[in-house]
Order: sequence, then structure tokens, then C-alpha cells
Amino acid sequence: MDAQRPLNETGVLNLQDILQHAVSILQKYSHLYSYVESNRLDVFIERNHLKPAIKAILDAKWGHLSAITGLDHPGQPDASDPQHQKDHLEVLYHFCQKSIIVTLRVSLDYHDARLPSICDLVPVATLYERELMEMFGIHIENTPDPSRLLLPDDWPSGVYPLRKSFKGLENTSTMS
Amino acid sequence: MLEFHTEKFIIPIGPQHPALKEPGHFEFTVDGETVTGATMRLGYVHRGIEKGVEGRNWTQAMYMLERVCGICSHVHATAFVLGVERLANVQVPPRAQAIRTLVGELERIHSHLLWLGVAAHEGGFDTLFMFSWRDRETVMDLLEELSGNRVHYSLNVIGGVKVDITDEIREHLLKGMDYLEERCKYYLNVISTDETFLGRTRGVGLMTLQQAEDLGAVGPTARASGVQRDIRIDAPYAGYSQFPVRLVTESTGDLHARFVVRIKELFESFRLIRLILANLPESELTTRVPRRIPAGETISRVEAPRGELFYYIKSNGNEYPERVKVRTPSLCNWSSVIVLAPGHKLADMPMLLSGIDPCFSCNDRMITIRHTDSNRTWSWEQLRQYGIEYYR
Repeated sequence: MDAQRPLNETGVLNLQDILQHAVSILQKYSHLYSYVESNRLDVFIERNHLKPAIKAILDAKWGHLSAITGLDHPGQPDASDPQHQKDHLEVLYHFCQKSIIVTLRVSLDYHDARLPSICDLVPVATLYERELMEMFGIHIENTPDPSRLLLPDDWPSGVYPLRKSFKGLENTSTMS
Repeated sequence: MLEFHTEKFIIPIGPQHPALKEPGHFEFTVDGETVTGATMRLGYVHRGIEKGVEGRNWTQAMYMLERVCGICSHVHATAFVLGVERLANVQVPPRAQAIRTLVGELERIHSHLLWLGVAAHEGGFDTLFMFSWRDRETVMDLLEELSGNRVHYSLNVIGGVKVDITDEIREHLLKGMDYLEERCKYYLNVISTDETFLGRTRGVGLMTLQQAEDLGAVGPTARASGVQRDIRIDAPYAGYSQFPVRLVTESTGDLHARFVVRIKELFESFRLIRLILANLPESELTTRVPRRIPAGETISRVEAPRGELFYYIKSNGNEYPERVKVRTPSLCNWSSVIVLAPGHKLADMPMLLSGIDPCFSCNDRMITIRHTDSNRTWSWEQLRQYGIEYYR
């Protein structure tokens, strides 16, 4: 076998430091955070703090934006997230450094589902934002390209397939 | 004269066969031969997999997610099962983790060789294309011998793997690696010395380290620009903490560097496969996993052949996943093409497109369109009949 590399050792040691660094960057924007797994920190953040928080992460050169996940929580109380018990949409911004993942969680009401675009800070976010608009019906303000990315051209407007209420289209002309 | 300059000439490429035999649509704005702008449209092979898995149980979901991609099927299943096993809080036997790692590397070999052929073909080097695809058959045969399948090896189960490495397969694997290593030495030599090849790749599609980080590039595309990032090293999963890989990077950031990084990664794969075969732990292959996965959410990241593959998995404690989000590496690398294209010759576009090793099926996942009464299962005969009617 290869000689044992020191990387694993230091990786374990650094883990706490990297997490602490993330907390120190983000505590200005939110006091609601939880350590969900040994390598993950979730930070619950208000919509108006989203961009400043992301800018702070980037300015500190803490990791990279790995993905943006949309979630739909209709009705049932959410055991993993006691802060939010009512119907809502949630958008998760996942930042990664080494094995650490910091997730900024923004909760949105159905009737006010809008978010500021972060493309001026992270250009690659444009694809994720277009996906959120199509799949969850979240309005992204000032996103550089709001056109359709994945759904077919004849997809009806106002139908958001990744919402839990979507069970299939009535008219399936696209199939035949 | 002013009017002359404000008019744009747009060349649409795709959706049929934009450089590769997969669908995507690009519009390149050109001034003479020079590209001045680029846009893209995806979704032509969008199948609704993320929505689809919400209506299937955990095991069915695994098989469906494996079908996100025909090239890197194993890595998708691996990312998913690793996450589900973490949610279920089960320890997978070490031999199973080693076999997952081994097959992950075999898959990387087949994927990189496939890419080498495609990229060579786009550059007009058809002999290299046919050579590399012929050699790729070696690893395809090994995968088939190991799992019974050439494409969807399906050897993961939640809680382990379902195939073992026998002595006979071990011998064949070692022989195959020896052959492929010789071939890859030859390829590395060809791409580094052949004048015409260098003419098509050196200095083309240049991406600096800063650009790679700003554009969010991942995998070999990013590592060719000097980005020090590989999930196998940064956050070892499956057997990678036991069998560590060495990081392969280049600093030039051009198309040529992307060739070099991928071929050098193959040498790492050969080394790792030999290491695993020599030190395969003795243990069971599977462990019991409950059918209902405890409520919770987790994130699973693995290094696919094209870069970081990201899975977000959420369980509500019942038999079906609540939400599975898949972010595939190709999606991250697209913006590099769109940004890098301006200033290049139109003729460089196919190679620039294939330089990131795009995988369209990976980009396009999410929606299934079902008839409202179609919760019924289709028999093979019905499916066949549907196919015949559809294409009539």
C-alpha cells in the first residue's frame, strides 16, 4: 500500500476550523444555524440578507457555489426544520470547501416567491436560477437570462413540475 | 456603413448533432470566421427524473437515477446509495466499498477513452478516434464480464454491491490494465508530439485559473486550468480514504491541457485498480438496510469522470424519497464554453464544445409527462408496440 498521506490527518483537523470560519463569516447575517451532519452547516437566512451573505462568503474566498436546490413543503410540518411549519418553498444555496458544505436556506411564501439574482456575484448561477424559475415558479429578480432552459417550448405557463401539487399535465399532446 | 456593423450574423448549431451525437442547441454570432458571441439551449433529452423518483421507492429510485447517464451510470447510483446509507445510518462492508471504487475507476477509464475518441474525431483525427474506441472495448468487456452489462452495470444495491471479484476476473482486469496502460502511454506521446494535433489544441479555448474558478468549472476541465479540486481527495467517499488517488493538474488551461489531464488521470486509475485488487478487504458484500429510510436530509458528492457530481437527498421517513436534487458536472462546465467561445474561429467550436466532455443526458433530467391514467405498468409487449406506433 501507499504510504499513509498526511492529508487525511490534516483534513480532520481542519474540518472544525473551516466550519468555524464559515460561522464567523455568516453570523452577521443570521443567528439561526444548525450543524446537521459532521461536515454540514445549515444557515437560515432572510431574503434581504442573501446577497450580502453570499458576497461575504466570496470575499472571504470560502469555497465555491456547488448547487442550488429548490424544495416545496406543502402542508405537513417539517421535522428536520422546526423553524418553518407552514406551506412554503425553500431555496438552498450549497457552498463547498473540501468536505465541508455550508447551506444557506431561504424560505419563501407561495404568494411572494421571489429572490434576487446572484449572477452578478456568481455567473454560473444563471443555469440554476433558470431551473428554479421553470421548475418551482420562483421569480428571480434581475436574472440575466430568464428564458426557458429545460422544458419544452409548448409547456403551459404557470405550471411548475417540481412543485408537489403537480401530478401531470391534463393534455399530454407532447407525448404523441 | 454604420448599419453594416450593427447587423449580426448568427449560425445555429444543433439541436441535431452539435459536434457530438447528442442534442443541444447553440447560436454563434460570427464576424467573418470569428465567433463574437454564443448562447445555448438545453433540455432536448429532458426526462423528468427528479420528479420521477419522488413517486418510486428507494430501490426503484436508485435504478432510475442510474439512468440519468449512460456513460457514468455507476457514479450516479453510487452517489445516491452513499447518501441513502448515511440517512439510514448503516455501515457498508469494506469489500463492497472497495468494489464500488474499483468499478468507479473502470468507468472513468471507459469514459475518458470515449471522450478521447470523440474529441479526436471533432478535430479531424479519425485514426486516433478509432484506435481509442477499439481500446475502450477492453474495459467495456471487463465491465460486462464483471457485471453482465456493458452500460448500466447496476452493481450497487442500497447497503452494498451484488457482484464479487473472482480470481478469474482479477486476472483479466490486471491483464486489461497492462494493455490499456501501454496504449495510453502511446496516446500521451501522440497528443504531445504530433504537430497537427498540437496546432488544433495548443492555446485553443484558454481558460485561466481565475476564470475557471469564476465560471465554476469542475473536474478535468477545471484541473487543466490548475484548480486543485477533486472530490476523491477533498472528501473521500466509498473506498477512496483507504485507496487514495493523487491529484492530476495542468497549468496551461488550454484544450491540450484538458487532453493531458484526462490521459494522466487514466494512469492514476490503472494504479488504483491494481492497488485495490492487491488489497481487496475480505468481508460480506451487503448489509441489511430498512425499507423505510429515517427522516432527514443529506448531501452526497462524488467525483464523476466529468467532475463533481452533487446529490441532495431528503427523506420524510417513508418508503419514497421526498426530494432528490441532482447537479451534474456538465452543467457547471457549459458556462466556460459560452464565455470562452468569442474570439475563436468557428471551426474551433466543435473541439471547444467537446473539450469539456459534455454529457447532454446529464444536463437534462427532470420532468416526466404521463397520461393521467398511466399509473399502470406497461408490459414489454405494450412498450414495444408503443415504440412501433410512435415511429410509424
